[in-house]
Amino acid sequence: MTEKLIITWFFVICLMLNAHFVEATEEYSFDVSETEKKSYHIGGYIEFRPAVFSLDKEASLYKLKFYNREEGGTFEEYNAKFQLESSLEKGIAKLFIKTNTDYKENYLGEDQKTTIYEGFLSLKPSSSLSIDIGKKTLRWGKGYAWNPVAFIDRPKDPEDPELGLEGFIVASADYIKSFEGPLKTISFTPVLIPVYEHVNDTFGDINKLNFAGKLYLLLYDTDIDFMILTGGSRTTRYGMDFSRNITPNLEIHGEFAFINNYKKMFINSTGGISETEYNAYSYLAGMRYLTEKDTTYIFEYYRNDTGFTSREMRDYFTFINSAYDAYLSTGSDLQIKKALKITEAGYGRINPMRDYLYLRISQKEPFDILYFTPSITWIYNINDKSSALSPELLYTGITDLELRLKATLLAGQRLSEYGEKQNDSRIEFRARYYF
Amino acid sequence: MLKNFIALMIILFAGPVYAIDGSSLLKEVDRNLSPESYESYRKLINIEPDGRKKEFTLFTVKKGTDKVVSLFLAPASEKGRSTLRLGDNMWLYIPNVGKPVRITSLQSVVGGVFNNADILQLDYSAEYNVEKVEEKGNEILLHLKAKTKTVAYDRLKIWADKGKKLPVKIECLTEANMLIKTLYFKEVKEFGGGIVRPAVVETDSPLYKGYKSVMIFAKLKKRDFKDEVFTLTFMPNIESLR
Repeated sequence: MTEKLIITWFFVICLMLNAHFVEATEEYSFDVSETEKKSYHIGGYIEFRPAVFSLDKEASLYKLKFYNREEGGTFEEYNAKFQLESSLEKGIAKLFIKTNTDYKENYLGEDQKTTIYEGFLSLKPSSSLSIDIGKKTLRWGKGYAWNPVAFIDRPKDPEDPELGLEGFIVASADYIKSFEGPLKTISFTPVLIPVYEHVNDTFGDINKLNFAGKLYLLLYDTDIDFMILTGGSRTTRYGMDFSRNITPNLEIHGEFAFINNYKKMFINSTGGISETEYNAYSYLAGMRYLTEKDTTYIFEYYRNDTGFTSREMRDYFTFINSAYDAYLSTGSDLQIKKALKITEAGYGRINPMRDYLYLRISQKEPFDILYFTPSITWIYNINDKSSALSPELLYTGITDLELRLKATLLAGQRLSEYGEKQNDSRIEFRARYYF
Repeated sequence: MLKNFIALMIILFAGPVYAIDGSSLLKEVDRNLSPESYESYRKLINIEPDGRKKEFTLFTVKKGTDKVVSLFLAPASEKGRSTLRLGDNMWLYIPNVGKPVRITSLQSVVGGVFNNADILQLDYSAEYNVEKVEEKGNEILLHLKAKTKTVAYDRLKIWADKGKKLPVKIECLTEANMLIKTLYFKEVKEFGGGIVRPAVVETDSPLYKGYKSVMIFAKLKKRDFKDEVFTLTFMPNIESLR
């Protein structure tokens, strides 16, 4: 009797709760408890990404990496990533932390690294003002593949520009003011970047307090930014960018950066290292176009004035080849180690040369397959006519699961950027689950 | 004399002879759908021909005739994304990308039949002029023409309930009168604060045969916001408004 009573009451309470929390409709329901705000949040994603590389044994970067070991024609790599985001909010204050753990298993064995990508305290005394202190990314610039004005960001990978990046420790603020008329918004973002031992020491020269600032305007329906970075860790630089819809389906954007007294270190074909100093003018011009059939074209031209010329790159590759020959004939890897050092110092960065084109064509939901997006990306090095072509298939039809199959085919003559990469092609599968 | 008097009476009392003011009616429909400035929660459900569903939950705030911003609360893969519309300008902010990018009204950030213009809906009277009004029994049919080329649909046909002054069905058409999609407004309910409107909007499209998308409204209430909320710089902080 008592049991039945308890069950009945339980049933009634459940019904009442259901009636209270569920906005019931004829066929659909909206549980409004989903909309209740919590003071904390934990989320992120976990990803598994196996890849197979087809090696180019004649390539300089293959020789540099595999000079003392024998690999087959291909090698496999198993990557996993765990990105965790958590936040705690109380009143005007919010604490946010984002960590990234990368796991890799390949011919070198296992490797694992956990990095705090972001971790900062944010104070929002009003909708016009916010103050952030801690490690964060700022992601300046309007370009999709490259951002010459991203003065205080780590470089993004144009082959995967939407990947999260590690930030720097900064103190920053955003002040926003809105208006009626052609000038709709002004916002100002001052940033302090301390660079000391163990604090942002990869940013540039240490024992300096750097200042950066960004002024944003929404003027005549055009986004315009002006930026500055000064303080000594890096040479002073100025930038501007813009983005505007010419028609509802056509957006154009651009960036311009002036870098004062840029210092570039380069190596000649016999291993002699020199340094040159000059004012660098880098810029980017791009567009994004959406057709009536939901095909998106993203096209960009990037002039990287801090990059190496074709001759400088040829000298670098020639030196690696000589160092490898010397290793084979003498067994000494001194020259190889020198080449590795200079690779880390600049030649090894993503897209190290001067003029590039980027084209990405993606087709949303072809053949009425919902959540399916095939695309193809082409990066072309204008200086040495080498290129990377990446077709990919993306499917997001299962809630919180993203599946991507991507291949990359590299083409280029000897002593060219993509012609000298360690592999000719790569195929990878990525399964990412969000929680 | 008597004949003249009878004729005058017939003219005076024959009727009612009046013309419906389409623009005023459209503004009335807009205000009945939502206050000029408000916050609301919505669930979007994309339903595939085989019955499979994908759901999205959004928090939306709107101010005046041309400012609206939405924040995705669920699913986890979309959480933190926000979309901002300021007149003809639209942006999408993805937390991992870390900066807003411009998007267009015809794109869809959620896939399915609803596009960005449907999700970031402004007042109809802000984007359309009334070209013609027809009475159809208990309904009024409004023929609308977009004020500018930047509006997502060139033409709309709105069937509105004559008494409630609320839409029942809207056809979205191209300039050549080709049907792009149809919105069906269902389940009129009271949201509090005098707001009585359809809680469910269903849509289908001849371009997506067999597919259906549904939008369910909850917790719609009048609320004022500062203009600074509707800016690119504020996009990462929309959550702080909840």
